[in-house]
Amino acid sequence: MEECLAKKMEITVSEAEKRTGRNAVNMQETYTAYLIETRVVESQNEGQCAPVDSLWRRYSEFELLRNYLSVTYPHIVVPPLPEKRADFVWHKLSADNMDPDFVERRRIGLENFLLRVASHPVLCQDKIFYSFLTQEGGWKEMVNETGFQLKADSRLKALNATFRVKNPDKRFTELKHYSDELQSVISHLLRVRARVADRLYGVYKVHGNYGRVFSEWSAIEKEMGDGLQSAGHHMDVYAASIDDILEEEEHYADQLKEYLFYAEALRAVCRKHELMQYDLEMAAQDLTSKKQQCEELATGTVRTFSLKGMTSKLFGQETPEQREAKIKVLEEQIQEGEEQLKSKNLEGRDFVKSAWADIERFKEQKNHDLKEALISYAVMQISMCKKGIQVWTNAKECFSKM
Amino acid sequence: AAGTPKPLPSSGPKSLREMPHPLATSSSEEMGPALTPSPDLLLPRSIADKDLSLPNGTPVDTSSPASSSSLLNRLQLDDDLDGETRDLFVTVDDPKKHVCTMETYITYRVTTKTTRAEFDLPEYSVRRRYQDFDWLRNKLEESQPTHLIPPLPEKFVVKGVVDRFSEEFVETRRKALDKFLKRITDHPVLSFNEHFNVFLTAKDLNAYKKQGMALLSKMGESVKYVTGGYKLRSRPLEFAAIGEYLDTFSLKLGTIDRIAQRIIKEQLEYLVELREYGPVYSTWGGLEVELSEPLEGVSACIGNCCTALEELSEDMTEDFLPVLREYILYSESMKNVLKKRDQVQAEYEAKLEAVALKKEDRPKVPTDVETCQDRVECFNADLKADMERWQNNKRQDFRQLLMGMADKNIQYYEKCLTAWESIIPLLQDKPETK
Repeated sequence: MEECLAKKMEITVSEAEKRTGRNAVNMQETYTAYLIETRVVESQNEGQCAPVDSLWRRYSEFELLRNYLSVTYPHIVVPPLPEKRADFVWHKLSADNMDPDFVERRRIGLENFLLRVASHPVLCQDKIFYSFLTQEGGWKEMVNETGFQLKADSRLKALNATFRVKNPDKRFTELKHYSDELQSVISHLLRVRARVADRLYGVYKVHGNYGRVFSEWSAIEKEMGDGLQSAGHHMDVYAASIDDILEEEEHYADQLKEYLFYAEALRAVCRKHELMQYDLEMAAQDLTSKKQQCEELATGTVRTFSLKGMTSKLFGQETPEQREAKIKVLEEQIQEGEEQLKSKNLEGRDFVKSAWADIERFKEQKNHDLKEALISYAVMQISMCKKGIQVWTNAKECFSKM
Repeated sequence: AAGTPKPLPSSGPKSLREMPHPLATSSSEEMGPALTPSPDLLLPRSIADKDLSLPNGTPVDTSSPASSSSLLNRLQLDDDLDGETRDLFVTVDDPKKHVCTMETYITYRVTTKTTRAEFDLPEYSVRRRYQDFDWLRNKLEESQPTHLIPPLPEKFVVKGVVDRFSEEFVETRRKALDKFLKRITDHPVLSFNEHFNVFLTAKDLNAYKKQGMALLSKMGESVKYVTGGYKLRSRPLEFAAIGEYLDTFSLKLGTIDRIAQRIIKEQLEYLVELREYGPVYSTWGGLEVELSEPLEGVSACIGNCCTALEELSEDMTEDFLPVLREYILYSESMKNVLKKRDQVQAEYEAKLEAVALKKEDRPKVPTDVETCQDRVECFNADLKADMERWQNNKRQDFRQLLMGMADKNIQYYEKCLTAWESIIPLLQDKPETK
């Protein structure tokens, strides 16, 4: 198996830049462009550094890439993009797309996306992906030329299949259910976390008021003055510390968000299976009915009601020649249909096999990543507690000198 | 001349005949070497009394301004931190609810242990209710108008908002009442007050209360400090400084009270969100297989933090805020004493002026004016000594209060730290080991 692109090439999204330009309807617009830098990793020449290639891409191009990958590899759980608009924000964070903090976090998210794709055993080999990283001009045209949009399943078709499919693989049904629940629970978690962050911010900031009043009070005291004044300073430190703490927590929120969006990718694979299965069922059903028609024509018995049958009864029977012709057509169609059914069956089984393999890979990745995220969250909390103990211990010492 | 302990003089309603010499030594070491009574030293006087004379009948020398009560006050300042020199210990505990037909109320047990001669027994245990404490405070204010009387916790509580019989409220009040009595106990003049003695010892306080009222009306003498409507031109600098200090002090305390309340409010709102936050991890854990235990662990951890936060907020509400408020009340009552002092000075200055205007050639200042001068000087001395004592106690009280606040916050963070540290191994646990 060819090694993942991620091992052969260093990929970073190193900068973000505000740009203005004209959009499709010739209106002025502002957007952010991201600088993608790549460098081939030379394992032999240790001291030598390969040159860095770079090009600029905007978010919409990333979206195009992802759409292309989703359509082209429907059996793969395609990594999600970071959110288009800021969601789950707590009050201090800006919901503005142009806000520098949001842009920064998005830059990290886009880099993460590219690394995910580059380390996927199947996706990393895609030529369009490679060109995205290395070819600045003409990439959009190249993608469109693949004609992937035509391969995309319509939403309506997919919805229809979901409702009508009779025998989907149970594992996919369960997985879809799981991804629904996952999406729901992570959304809830992110919403509450944002509120928790808001409240915690309030608690810390109010302590800053102690700083000022202790300072004012110390002015009228003789022995107590110094102790009060210095304790007040520690209260200011305490109040200020929350900004960094919560900024760090945003990284945790981003990790959760990635898996929130991954749930959608999971669902997409399940939907594809349902679609294929439905297609298969329809084809099988069609084949069966054709076979039946053929039989009826051949034996002259009518078992199934058909309009043709009725009309022929009303307006007289067909001639044997006409019947023969019909049977022949049907036989041809049946043969075609059987071949198609065979290949569809094969396709379906292949899909299930390869999709399930990727799903297993995804599950392992998810468990690993989320565990790491929880550990880093716990570490953040520990750090926050230690800072709190430090500040209050310092304040206590100041009070003891009063 | 060491002798049996004698009650220290107080400016209470005792007649001078009953009072021993002011500096007669007690059996405790607090007075140091025996101080021989000297005729030059001023007798403390009941400021309400009109004639001032020594027990042996000789008139009192009014030249020296220091009242011995304040002298003692200042002497004791250095000694009272040593527990061994204490001869009076008072505790308030054991609240009990009494349900009667007319009303429901709480009584507290007041326990006294003492070696003082003013007490017939070495130990006492009585039950008192809030209105008894209130009565005591009023009596002290009346009988010791030149001294700073410690505050009581607030009398009135808004019914419906605060449950007067909840454990937290009763405990908070008990602590405040205990502090109130301890402050009086520590005061070298107030602790020898007769009403205080009765409060600590009488089985039937109500009878004494009624008796006291009757006596007063009989004697037709109000111990209350009533001076006419004299207006002071200007407060002496040192008292003006005290007044200004108290103004700023109570202002700052008020601000701190508001900040503390705001913090508690924010903490409780934070708690509400945390209580929703923790269980979501648990729900998620239910969805997962391998992540089930780690997620449950995080959920439990957040739950522990909630409990710790709840405890912190409770502690601040019950221990921190009441003491702040007590000191605000203390400042208010102290400002009133300053005003009374102003009144006394105003009266003296007015009378002095009246005499000067008469332009009579008198060899001596009339006794009326002398009395006033005495009053002013005694008041000033008592107040200054009490202020010094108050400042010292205040510093200790706030040192303890603020250190306590810091401690509670440290404990909160330590509890949270323990919780989070304990789940790290759980989170890092490899599935192969299972």
